[in-house]
Amino acid sequence: MTEKNEMLAIILAGGQGTRLGKLTKSTAKPAIPFGGRYRIIDFTLSNCANSGIDTVGVVTQYQPLELNAHIGNGSSWGLDDQNGGVTVLQPFSSSEGEKFFEGTAHAIYQNIEYIDQQNPEYLLVLSGDHIYKMDYGAMLEYHKAKKASLTVGVIPVSMEEAKRFGMMNTDETDRIIEFEEKPEHPKSDKASMGIYIFNWATLRNYLTTSFTTNNSLEDFGKNVIPMYLANNESTYAYAFDGYWRDVGTIHSLWQANMEFLSPHNSLNIGDHNWRINSKAQVLPPMFLTSTSNVNNSMIVDSCYVAGEVDHSILSQRVSVGTGSRIVDSMIMPGATIGKNVVIDHALVGEEAVIGDGAEVKGTEKDIAVVGYG
Amino acid sequence: MKHNSVSAVINLVEPWEKLEPLTIARPVGTLPFGGRYRLLDFPLSSIANAGIQNVMIASPRSGRSVSDHIRSGNDWNLDTIRGGLFNFPYNDLSLIAPEKKDTLLHHYYDNAILFLKRSNSEYTVVMGTRNICNIDLKALLRYHKERDNRVTTVYKSVDASEVKPTNTVLQLTENGMATSVVQASKTFPSSEGKLAKDLNIYLMSTVDLVDILNEANQRGDLISLERLMKRAVIQHNANAFEYTGFYANIHDIPSYYKASMSILKEDNFRALFYSQRQIYTKVKNEIPTFFAKSSQVKGSLCGTGGYIEGKIDNSVIFRNVFINRDSLIQDSVIMQGTRIGVGTTIENAVIDKNVVIGPNLELKGTPDEPLVIGKGKRIFRQTEVTNE
Repeated sequence: MTEKNEMLAIILAGGQGTRLGKLTKSTAKPAIPFGGRYRIIDFTLSNCANSGIDTVGVVTQYQPLELNAHIGNGSSWGLDDQNGGVTVLQPFSSSEGEKFFEGTAHAIYQNIEYIDQQNPEYLLVLSGDHIYKMDYGAMLEYHKAKKASLTVGVIPVSMEEAKRFGMMNTDETDRIIEFEEKPEHPKSDKASMGIYIFNWATLRNYLTTSFTTNNSLEDFGKNVIPMYLANNESTYAYAFDGYWRDVGTIHSLWQANMEFLSPHNSLNIGDHNWRINSKAQVLPPMFLTSTSNVNNSMIVDSCYVAGEVDHSILSQRVSVGTGSRIVDSMIMPGATIGKNVVIDHALVGEEAVIGDGAEVKGTEKDIAVVGYG
Repeated sequence: MKHNSVSAVINLVEPWEKLEPLTIARPVGTLPFGGRYRLLDFPLSSIANAGIQNVMIASPRSGRSVSDHIRSGNDWNLDTIRGGLFNFPYNDLSLIAPEKKDTLLHHYYDNAILFLKRSNSEYTVVMGTRNICNIDLKALLRYHKERDNRVTTVYKSVDASEVKPTNTVLQLTENGMATSVVQASKTFPSSEGKLAKDLNIYLMSTVDLVDILNEANQRGDLISLERLMKRAVIQHNANAFEYTGFYANIHDIPSYYKASMSILKEDNFRALFYSQRQIYTKVKNEIPTFFAKSSQVKGSLCGTGGYIEGKIDNSVIFRNVFINRDSLIQDSVIMQGTRIGVGTTIENAVIDKNVVIGPNLELKGTPDEPLVIGKGKRIFRQTEVTNE
């Protein structure tokens, strides 16, 4: 065993994201394109790298090929460290059976050998489907200062939104005294972000006991946090108040993309002190022809625009033919949009082909979706 | 092709004086081109696309901008355990003091000889960077192997009217052999009015190239690699391979400007960047370019990381360029990191990297004599606008 790795990050990227319908038919949710040149998991991976975490395990299960190809050896995020790096963790067969997993905590248990190999003091558990910038190093400092066994990242939400989240009720020292899943009458505004720092030895103990006896600790929210509270483990809430979006539904994914378009978005994507990196690709520059008309939009390399683009995002290799009009939409990489097409309030999937004269129209309440081509 | 059977030498010692001020602090090879590339990317990509992994770069001076651009060579598949990329600085003889030249006598070609011997390659291609092309080096090698001459060189057939008297061309025999590389003024166009513009690419067996360099060392030659290659063509005659793709020769400011404008024609752009052979460059993680409500962009290339409020027409805009509202960029090249102020008009100009142009100014050149603003300049008054 090598020297102790202070904090290991595990990104749970196994979810299918069924609420994203056609967009996740052939890809995992964290691999969904976002903001023109990113995939959702880029935010979490970049946060790890920017926080000085050099060892990251990415737990995959559902449709992992695209995610694997995207992450590669991790060099695009500077995670190809000699002594660490990023490891994609796939379910595998062992003498105890196949290591597919059910809930979030089970996913950690199934990868216990990898975690032991890294031998961390602290385990940072993240989900790969949120859009945000966060310094996990500051959260670790907090965890240590509180001498916590578990620290949960929380974000303030409105009382209305609180009904959709796991809510943390805390005392005046921010110690969590009660956890309520989707409460009808919320008692606090602190919603769990699905970000946890555990003292690994303690968690390891709980998980091993559970999965060798009654399998009671399947999920962090549903099972592990209540168990920690019941056993009086010191559990603290770490408040985060920056930009954070869960993009688990078609509408929230569209909404976050539209927010991303605003030059005043508090995510501040242009900040060079906290860069969000993505898989580096070399593509020719974008080409806007003499018939193009682009306003209020974001465009990236290798796009070809001969039509009108208004308040929309075009990802890499998207082409828009003459006479076409794209409004309030996000077009994913490689989509080909013919001539005289209207696309309004829509998410268009990767490599989709939209024939001449077609209309794809959604509304703010009901975003249209074109699946992967 | 057997692995490592071909190595490549990219010679960055090229005439730069007429490209000033763009070449004051960089060799011609790292001149930005096409919105996100450097001239060096074109030969390096041809090399990568042919699977060549043994590459020597001869830089004229320190090679800082060269090293900064190519790093480990990973972006061209050159970060490999077999072969790799070797950057040798200070090859420009005109920058070496006369009293120091004695120490170079009989040793000037030592680095290249050592590189070639260690490469264990059968063939070597020697290229410059000022002739932009996207050449299939595998086809060139096949052509060479099928013929008897020891050297193969490359040309593009162009209208005589497009060639300046000082440009170099190949003199071809009736059966398509090159007998020499001469200035255009010293030869005559074909009956169709064409000249064989030389692309400064030479392919030969590595053993022959090592012999040429050894003999030059023994004679005490202190001449550029390029001149040695041209001499070899005269000495041995050469197979002449005709290249038919996109081509531009960069030898002065107007030719650089003209080449930049020519890739705004869609068929040229596609021929250069969307052929089967990709053009690679240093990868960078830039954010998407934002086009504000007031922006109006027509017939232009743009890099990522930009913020565009003004009007752009028929121009090449590199990465991270900030164009403020009410400004107009017409028929111009704006390089990386440059900022253009509110209400400023720029026409027929080449603005180098990281320049700041203040508000309400007019910077105008002509198509034949474009206005050039050097790297890092700050211009806030109309009187400060002068063509360098």
